[in-house]
Amino acid sequence: MRAFVTKLVDLTQKNTEEITRQWAKDVKTNQRTYTYHDAPEDKIILQAKDFYLNFQEMFFHEAPYEQAEEIFEKYADDRYKEGIPLHEAMYALILMRRHMWLYAEFQSLFNAEVEHRQAVESLSRTILMFDYIMYIIARKYWKLMKLELLEKQANN
Amino acid sequence: MQAYAAKLINLIESKAENIAKQWAADVMKHNRTPSYHALPKDMVIEQGVNFYRLFRQMSLAEVPYEEAKTFSWKYAEGFYREKIPLHEAMYALILMRRHLWLYAEFQGTFVTALEKQQAVESLNRTILMFDYVSYQVTEKYQELVIGDIDKKFGVVKTLLMGKLFGGTKNIYKILLMIILLVGSCILTYYYHAIAGTGIIFTHLFYIPIIFASIWWGKKGILVSVFLAALILISHALFLKGMPFLDDIIRAFMFVLIGGVVGWLMDGIKKVEDLYKTFTA
Repeated sequence: MRAFVTKLVDLTQKNTEEITRQWAKDVKTNQRTYTYHDAPEDKIILQAKDFYLNFQEMFFHEAPYEQAEEIFEKYADDRYKEGIPLHEAMYALILMRRHMWLYAEFQSLFNAEVEHRQAVESLSRTILMFDYIMYIIARKYWKLMKLELLEKQANN
Repeated sequence: MQAYAAKLINLIESKAENIAKQWAADVMKHNRTPSYHALPKDMVIEQGVNFYRLFRQMSLAEVPYEEAKTFSWKYAEGFYREKIPLHEAMYALILMRRHLWLYAEFQGTFVTALEKQQAVESLNRTILMFDYVSYQVTEKYQELVIGDIDKKFGVVKTLLMGKLFGGTKNIYKILLMIILLVGSCILTYYYHAIAGTGIIFTHLFYIPIIFASIWWGKKGILVSVFLAALILISHALFLKGMPFLDDIIRAFMFVLIGGVVGWLMDGIKKVEDLYKTFTA
């Protein structure tokens, strides 16, 4: 059962390099991730590799939500400092998830009838993880915005 | 409408209210959406129903992304007005999608092998729609935050960004100030030395005093001090024998008003800095 669910993540793990390159190409031209267009490609590829690595760690963790809090608050912090607007940071994540799936489809990972059930399970679990990540990142951004406001007030 | 999605779309549309009610019950007690707990239930359910009905509209639309905007903007505006933090509004959306899927599973919509294939396609379709909505809601929320700050600090912006007073270039301000101060000197000389009176012309001095404080904050007090010194020295030189007290009070008021306005404007300048931070 576990093997079915993790099929998508396993594929991503083995092909991180290629998936991140495809993602970087997309994010650098997508009209909804405008701020990424001028970012150095190497830098964002590294960013995506880290993300996928952390994602895998979270995926297999016993308490994924708690693990996500630990990992992805830092991710949000970094993007916030880089001046990426929240909606673009979120869309970049959406593209990361989409590229995982696109790659799997391209590799015909879930073709046979029995594999469709695996696909539903794998996809559902992946989406759940991304839901956690998106919530944590949005919450961290909100906190950082409030913190910046308070710091400004305190300094003045 | 694509055949694979039709099944799910029909189910959602016919049961929109039931699914929305289940979602509302969840979101109104979920620990990641505490701000929803006190909202009117009807309002929450209505948003849920609107979301679920969006499916068919999007499926029929030529450009689903554009179709989603109607819902997303209304959703963002509604919950922003209710002071729901963005991450909670996002999580509520996530729960909407989850409830939709749970309902479909509970109804045994996708059981056979063929249906499982349809499930994958429907799931992808659902996710795509959700992706559009979540992006649009986040974007709209940020727009609303900035709009709110803009509205609240519009006057401050006008004052401090110089639209009213000749732009941000300091040279215009300095030039205008020099003209006003020269005018003050001429007026003082005329009334004190020629007319020999200390009548109320000094009220006009508040124009350069207030402008200086608005533009340069506490530093603007130098203009007040200059004008205070001007009337005191001029009085000492040209109005000998006339009581000094009135001009001493006037000079004191110049410095006091200049100081208070300058202090207030420094405070407003800090607000402007915050404004810039959030609208950058």
